[in-house]
Amino acid sequence: MPKLVLDAHRLIGPHPFDDLPEDPRPDLDRLGIDQALVTHTLSLYHDPQAGNDALRRIDDPRLIPVPVVVPGFCESRGVMVRLCPERHRFDLTGPAALRTVSALGVPVAVDLEESSPGQLLRLAGEVPKLLVLNPGYRRLRAVAELMAEAPNVWLEIGTVNTQRGVEWLAGRFGARRLVFGTGAPVMDDCGPRFLLDHLDLPQDDIELIASGGDLL
Amino acid sequence: MIIDAHGHLGSWPDFLIPEPTAAGMVELMDRVGIDMIGISHLLAVGPDAVAGNELALAAARDFPGRFGVWQVYNPHHRTPLVTEGVWGVKIHPDVHQCRLDDPRYEPVWELGLPVLSHGQTDSPWSDPSQFAEVARRHPEIPLLMGHSGLWPYGFARAARFSGEHPNLYLETCGSKATGRWIARLVELAGARKVVYGSDACFLDLRVGYGRVALAPLSDADRALVLGGNLARILELSS
Repeated sequence: MPKLVLDAHRLIGPHPFDDLPEDPRPDLDRLGIDQALVTHTLSLYHDPQAGNDALRRIDDPRLIPVPVVVPGFCESRGVMVRLCPERHRFDLTGPAALRTVSALGVPVAVDLEESSPGQLLRLAGEVPKLLVLNPGYRRLRAVAELMAEAPNVWLEIGTVNTQRGVEWLAGRFGARRLVFGTGAPVMDDCGPRFLLDHLDLPQDDIELIASGGDLL
Repeated sequence: MIIDAHGHLGSWPDFLIPEPTAAGMVELMDRVGIDMIGISHLLAVGPDAVAGNELALAAARDFPGRFGVWQVYNPHHRTPLVTEGVWGVKIHPDVHQCRLDDPRYEPVWELGLPVLSHGQTDSPWSDPSQFAEVARRHPEIPLLMGHSGLWPYGFARAARFSGEHPNLYLETCGSKATGRWIARLVELAGARKVVYGSDACFLDLRVGYGRVALAPLSDADRALVLGGNLARILELSS
């Protein structure tokens, strides 16, 4: 069992399409997850600024806010920010987005399903660190090409769900660029949490992945 | 006894599977404590059911007691089926582009063994409503709905169909499944109607198993899902 487990991809707040818990803390307790980087669902399903405001009102050191930025429309700061180019309908590699993330100077998180490896490669040129959320398992080859080309790309492993996919990535890019994260409660937290305890990697590597690599 | 209902060996064309071998599967099974897994070879699901079925049977011979074989039936090729040395039949209506309720699957039902089929809500080939129809036509055949319909928005409907047909079971694997939804399937359909599967090596064995192992279930219900039900369906002795 890793000493510190940080879920780098967690949502807090209500969801419109399923009966899911608004508060992640009971599940974090149940699954032995110490901290989580959280984005508010109001930012995803209602109004980006309203979600960021709700995040600011959470006063719990276990829950680390990751506000959403919409270039030119909704600015915010945090230890990391999240961009949702499909959901908020902006050009991830357009001049406004690139200027915004360059000026922020903090790590940026983007869901692979809302972008492309090519776009992410362009974005990685403007940010200190880029965390790819929800990479899945079907585009492992393309993700590997991105990680090979851009050494400042980190990967959330919660959906890297093909046999020994995480070990394959760790062997090529090192555990320091892999980050435990789930996307819960929409995505599953049970399977990825179990996988973390049963990776076929040195314990130091598992500790690194569990605590967020050296992303933050 | 922990038994995985849904496994594969081999490669698949549209993405990389870093560990597709039988030896690699057994190594991971030992790592987490899984006794047996039912497999079909991905070559059999794909273009060559006869050759793929041979590979699955060979793996079962190489690792006695660790693999059950789901022989794949391709309705276009009218794959020869056997009754000995296998758990039953695996069909994949979406890959084969033949609806689950199509009469071309008749040899599968005539065989009388349990059937595991890919299931996918709103698919023209394998929507859960087709499972309900086939379960109604063949009440003596245990029918496992692979992935419980795959998409979370269809899970509750799939559970309703399972509740209406005693021989229709919900299998848990899939990239969109969650521990929370597995607990809900148990609540909706009953613990005796849900069976654990991982889809390994297509997916990672540990993720599929962990999703059930850490799901918010009672110990008794978890034991049924993780192997008790499948042992009963397959009439396996412990």
